[in-house]
Amino acid sequence: MSDPETDAKNNPAPEPTGLSHPEARFALLQAQTRRHFLRSFTAGVGSMFLGTLGSPFAPPVKAAERNVDGSLRLDFTRDPSRPLSVLPPEFAPRAKRIIYLHMAGAPSQLELFDYKPDLNKLNGQECPASFLVGKRFAFISGVPKLLGAQYPFHQAGKSGQWMSDRLPHLEKHIDDLCLIKSMRTDQFNHAPAQLLVQTGNARLGYASMGSWVIYGLGTENQNLPGFIVLVSGGNQPDGGKQLWGSGFLPSVYQGVQCRSHGEPVLYLENPPDVSRPLRRRMLDAVDEINQQTYAEFGNPETVTRIAQYEMAFRMQMDATDAMDIHKESPAALAAYGANPADSSFANNCLVARRLAERGVRFIQLYHWGWDDHGTSAKDSLNIGFADRCRETDQPIAALLTDLKQRGMLEDTLVVWGGEFGRTSMRENRNGQVMQFIGRDHNPGAFTIWMAGGGIKPGMSHGETDAMGYEIVKDPVEIRDLHATILYAMGFDHHKLNYSFQGLEQKLTSVKPARVVAEVLA
Amino acid sequence: MTLPVRRAPLRLRLGLLALALILLLSALFAFLPPDGLERVTWAQFIGRFHLLTVHFPIALILIAPVLEWAGRKPRFPHLRSSVDFLLALAMLSSLVAASLGWCLARSGGYSGRLVTQHMWGGISVAAACWLCWMLREYFRGPRFDLIYTLALLATVGIVSWTGYRGGQLSQGENHLTEHMPGVLRKLIRLSPGPTVLPRSNPAFFYGAHVEPIFVGHCYSCHGPDKQKGRLRLDSYDSLMRGGKDGVVVKAGNVKGSELFHRVTLSPSDDDAMPPNGKRPLAANEIKLLELWIAAGASSTLAANAIKDAPTNDVPVVAEVTFPEIDPAAVTQLRAPLAPQVAHLKQRYPDLLDYESRGSADLVIDASALGAKFGDDDLAAIKPLSEQIVTADLSGAAITDRSAPLLAAMKHARVLRLTNTRITDTTVLALGGLDRLESLDLYGTEVTPACLKVVESLPKLRHLYAGATKIPADVPVSEEMRGKLLF
Repeated sequence: MSDPETDAKNNPAPEPTGLSHPEARFALLQAQTRRHFLRSFTAGVGSMFLGTLGSPFAPPVKAAERNVDGSLRLDFTRDPSRPLSVLPPEFAPRAKRIIYLHMAGAPSQLELFDYKPDLNKLNGQECPASFLVGKRFAFISGVPKLLGAQYPFHQAGKSGQWMSDRLPHLEKHIDDLCLIKSMRTDQFNHAPAQLLVQTGNARLGYASMGSWVIYGLGTENQNLPGFIVLVSGGNQPDGGKQLWGSGFLPSVYQGVQCRSHGEPVLYLENPPDVSRPLRRRMLDAVDEINQQTYAEFGNPETVTRIAQYEMAFRMQMDATDAMDIHKESPAALAAYGANPADSSFANNCLVARRLAERGVRFIQLYHWGWDDHGTSAKDSLNIGFADRCRETDQPIAALLTDLKQRGMLEDTLVVWGGEFGRTSMRENRNGQVMQFIGRDHNPGAFTIWMAGGGIKPGMSHGETDAMGYEIVKDPVEIRDLHATILYAMGFDHHKLNYSFQGLEQKLTSVKPARVVAEVLA
Repeated sequence: MTLPVRRAPLRLRLGLLALALILLLSALFAFLPPDGLERVTWAQFIGRFHLLTVHFPIALILIAPVLEWAGRKPRFPHLRSSVDFLLALAMLSSLVAASLGWCLARSGGYSGRLVTQHMWGGISVAAACWLCWMLREYFRGPRFDLIYTLALLATVGIVSWTGYRGGQLSQGENHLTEHMPGVLRKLIRLSPGPTVLPRSNPAFFYGAHVEPIFVGHCYSCHGPDKQKGRLRLDSYDSLMRGGKDGVVVKAGNVKGSELFHRVTLSPSDDDAMPPNGKRPLAANEIKLLELWIAAGASSTLAANAIKDAPTNDVPVVAEVTFPEIDPAAVTQLRAPLAPQVAHLKQRYPDLLDYESRGSADLVIDASALGAKFGDDDLAAIKPLSEQIVTADLSGAAITDRSAPLLAAMKHARVLRLTNTRITDTTVLALGGLDRLESLDLYGTEVTPACLKVVESLPKLRHLYAGATKIPADVPVSEEMRGKLLF
């Protein structure tokens, strides 16, 4: 429960402090690193002796009340049997849930939102040497040629923002969007770049954005996971399941991958000849054994396991209902272009709306297939890219329409984006002119958009140079985006932290991050 | 008077050596002054020890007059005998400190008024010590006693002044008065705020548009206190004089102006200004510089002389700050209703909570409970109605029976009743919710009849009326039209 002070007053449960409590002991052991051990080794021998005397010198085990910067630490402790219960944010939030649309493979900003007339004029000319000095590319070699936008641009909406003709449905919502054209990353391969976007770190083992959010806020609906992931486009994103992993956070906070077609989660339904009461009895028995294990070792992961079993049992009813788009009207299916007999990004968008209505905190959609190097028809700007736009344009627009109509865009933050941008030059793999048109990876500049939940609508932030290659105004690092998203959810990114391996781990990691105040409503 | 060479040859030799050192150091100060260039050499390394050594002679000089004074009392005559040794030590250690100080100033990128004064102050201290030491030993007698006393007091004065200048160098010009209480400020007639540098006339283009750019971006390294590359940008004259590599602004020649070239380099370039990590100039600021240089870089060009010049009043967006929550104040704020809140949280887990950790306002969200949450459940929350700022009852089994309960949520900003069984009766009861900003009636049976009350809500920004009996072309006032969403 969320308010320890009042709870303690009304419900004086035994405080879980002191070495006798198994969870406290476990936490203490977890907090020990090799360095702690070596540092306190000699003193430790002495305190072992003092300990045997029942001495008052033994230090009390208590979570630190302050962060290393001296600010008050936020308390995220919960009843171990209800690890996803709701906790209030640090300050009044602007959004209470997030729908993150990750376009895996990195869509070209130069074919969608970043209008560069000068680049069009220089189409086909050799790339100036200044672009290439000190740069590393995934595939470009030698001197590539500049490549103008492959699709015509026009100004859209009352805000008059430039966009290409590939997103006719989204265009109706252009005045609801806040484009950030000056995103920057330091990773130029898909998997680490996706990990950086989703976990704040390019390496494995860090907690994803969704995990941080439900760790901080919990979720209202205990019959569904608080963090649900839906994947479309025929492939898993390159970063793999780590993209929704909980890293060092307790694993109950990891994302649950669901399916919009067939069983929402594989093996969720009872096998033939197992009735629901029988399943209940089986779970009761398993829970009892797990309780004994927890009493003995105090590992919170055991509680997580019990909670997950129980949630799966409840999900048998609720998840099936939430994911079942058969229940939507034909008009709704048509608006999204969804087909219940199939699995698609459109279906996932419709499911995202149903999940948002049911109180799911963080809904993450991945759509694979934007890596348009020009190596084949489906990976080219002239063919595959147009298909991806078609697959995603109408469902995203329909999702925004639905959220807006239901009043949910007020407190839902929708984020769209890839993991990096694409070069202003045409890719020339092995120095050859390729059959299809494509662009290589460009970590130096890309465009994302945000909508709803406390974000200023109908604006764009940041600028790239005349070639759309580097940022010249208001660069936004991935960690700045994270800080901004957490701010919209009601958190100071410094305070949403978790001590692990001697460091206060944060989504924004160790470099200073800035909340992009310019995009806040 | 002849110098008693035979009596103390060692002392005299030391005195002459110290004098020679003082003169040598003065020559160094005069001919190789700190020039604002940074040199990473041994000199810079040992120069850093200036700050460690400099306090030793200060203490010695301050204690010398104390000993002289106390030694006059019959109880402590022995104290005076230490003064001679103290003065010699102070003289030598101040020479060491001054030498290290010169190393630091010469190689650490310093130049300007403060460092020059501090430097000459330092060598004066050494010279004053030498003088006191000599006077005390060789010039005795009532007449000389007075001179000696005055010299000693002057030494104390010089060392204090020099130390203050040093403090200004490292801590900032107003380091002593910065936090002075207002009463004292008035007493010594100090200006009430931090001192402001004189600004050029804003009627001219330079003062109105160009100087503010330098103030915001350049002064910390090219200002009155520090002049990297011997370049000062804090006045028109110093700007046009340029730095160690010559002029930086060539009137009428934008391309040939080093200053313009530097600020337009890519931020990753080694020569880019402001250097790595500092905020680059905004596009309109660069444009202003370009226009001004192209127009002749005059100090007296009228502020509005260039047509289509961008303004440099960039709308300043306040940085987000995170105020610290005071847990005691929050507890106090919540105290009146805390028992009831705790009780209801027990009864309806995850339904109700404080809006934030620093607030006593409540948020209820029954959307996850849906049909399991009815009028009777809402009635149970009645004692807390006035604390509720956001109520999401989407899909709950509530009816018009809840109208009085909803009307009692006087502080509600957001009320969400989508897909509930409420009708116009409920909406008509909400006229008193004068803080309501968002009312969500999507998927209910409400009709245009309820709009009358909705229009009277003073703070309302959005009314969601999709999937209701209100048609999208319902006749409403222009103002209401902007709030209606279908």
